[in-house]
Amino acid sequence: MKSIEELRELYENKLKPNLETLESQRKSLKKKYVLIIVVFIATGLIFFIGNNQPSLSFLYYFIPVGVIAFVYLIYKAGLAQNIYRNEFKENVVRAIVKLIDSTWDYDPYGHISHEQYRTSKIFTRGVDRYNGDDLVTGVIEKTDFRLSELHSEYKTQTTDKNGHTRTTWHTIFKGLFAHIDFNKEIKGETLVLPDTAEKWFGSFGKKLQSMSGRGKLIKLENVEFEKLFVVYGSDQIEARYILTPSIMEAMVTIVRKYNKNVFFSFIGSRVYFAIGFKEDLFEPRIFKSGLRFEDMQKMNEQFSIIQTIIHEMNLNTRIWTKD
Amino acid sequence: MIIVLVAVALLLIITISMYNGLIRKKNEVDNAFGGIDVQLKKRYDLIPNLISTVKQYMTHERELLTKVTELRSKAMGGSLSNDEKVDIDNQITHTMKGIMVAVENYPELKANQNFLNLQRTMNEVESQISAARRAYNSAVTDFNNGIQTFPGNMMAGMMKLSAKMVFEIPEVERENINAKDLFNS
Repeated sequence: MKSIEELRELYENKLKPNLETLESQRKSLKKKYVLIIVVFIATGLIFFIGNNQPSLSFLYYFIPVGVIAFVYLIYKAGLAQNIYRNEFKENVVRAIVKLIDSTWDYDPYGHISHEQYRTSKIFTRGVDRYNGDDLVTGVIEKTDFRLSELHSEYKTQTTDKNGHTRTTWHTIFKGLFAHIDFNKEIKGETLVLPDTAEKWFGSFGKKLQSMSGRGKLIKLENVEFEKLFVVYGSDQIEARYILTPSIMEAMVTIVRKYNKNVFFSFIGSRVYFAIGFKEDLFEPRIFKSGLRFEDMQKMNEQFSIIQTIIHEMNLNTRIWTKD
Repeated sequence: MIIVLVAVALLLIITISMYNGLIRKKNEVDNAFGGIDVQLKKRYDLIPNLISTVKQYMTHERELLTKVTELRSKAMGGSLSNDEKVDIDNQITHTMKGIMVAVENYPELKANQNFLNLQRTMNEVESQISAARRAYNSAVTDFNNGIQTFPGNMMAGMMKLSAKMVFEIPEVERENINAKDLFNS
């Protein structure tokens, strides 16, 4: 992660000058949204008044006007939002990524593929909708990685007695997802997942977990680690080969640092990592000032998660047979 | 009458499941020990290669090299009890650590490609042995928990099962290797 000084330098010297374009785009976008709300309320009022005051029923003629205006404004706002968002990603987010490491690649609309997501076996639920953006690819010393924001969802449909079907969307995972070159040869699969069952059910939860069907339940010696994570694997010994005492410490450190649900899996020659975020990341603000230094700091921190992972887990230590 | 039958059946089921559970845990322990054996064999296989690679360079450590070869022969000789296996393994670990420390004095050897590859393989084998030991300890702890907690302990008494020892890091390993000591031993 770059120092605060370097970040502030970037903010003051490179980004702020560009901000004027961005800010004017944002303000015009905000105006559009405000207008949309006004039109909506006005149309609603007209309808309400027209209903209750028959004498003013001529006002009804204004309703189609209101509706057309509403639809038109939404369309314009959508266009403007895309432009604004694009401008933000190209000028601000890209600059932050390049500041962290100029050799990294940033694709604002790319994301980790659905295959990789499935290969990780972290989230086994079938996906009905899969989205992502802000793909960063790069190398840190010997370790290559791919990182992006992802949002996977499944849907449930209910049909009521009138035959109307209602679709509800549920989030499976939302946050940052990465896959990284692992420094040891692995033959099987090992999963490290947040330990929700033990949190809720204590040792009975452990019993439930062993029946989960995601592989053998692996019980490890690090007490802190066991409180935070549950481990499944295809092989008891390989799981411990991967999860050495120092790696377990690293994982505990990572959870404590970010205070979020954190998931790992070790399959093939990669380690898959996911960290859940409730909010959208790397998106511009619309209703408040578009770029504050704190926002930049947050983005810098979020992109730097990949460096923390690689560093804490010593993935650049290549003393085993894998290069 | 029916209640009695049901109670007896229930008791029988519980007894059977406890018995099976303990047998499974015991087998898990044996399985885990077998896992260690597999890794140890890999290490034994590496030793001749190690000796021949370092022999040309390391002129002062003849005794260490001979000791490792001897220990290896003993280990592979077969018909050792589990405790003896563990003991020899600990000695080999200690001696090999000594060799690796001594290597620091031979820059040519350190740069030798053969040696570097060998070192990587050895690191991997050592990591795997470590992992296998931890897996064994986990299986033993599970087994010990099963036979020492209630109601398993009653069953265990009847089955004549007793607690097993976990792998401890021997005192010998816990001390920092002092190179001078090794050369004097």
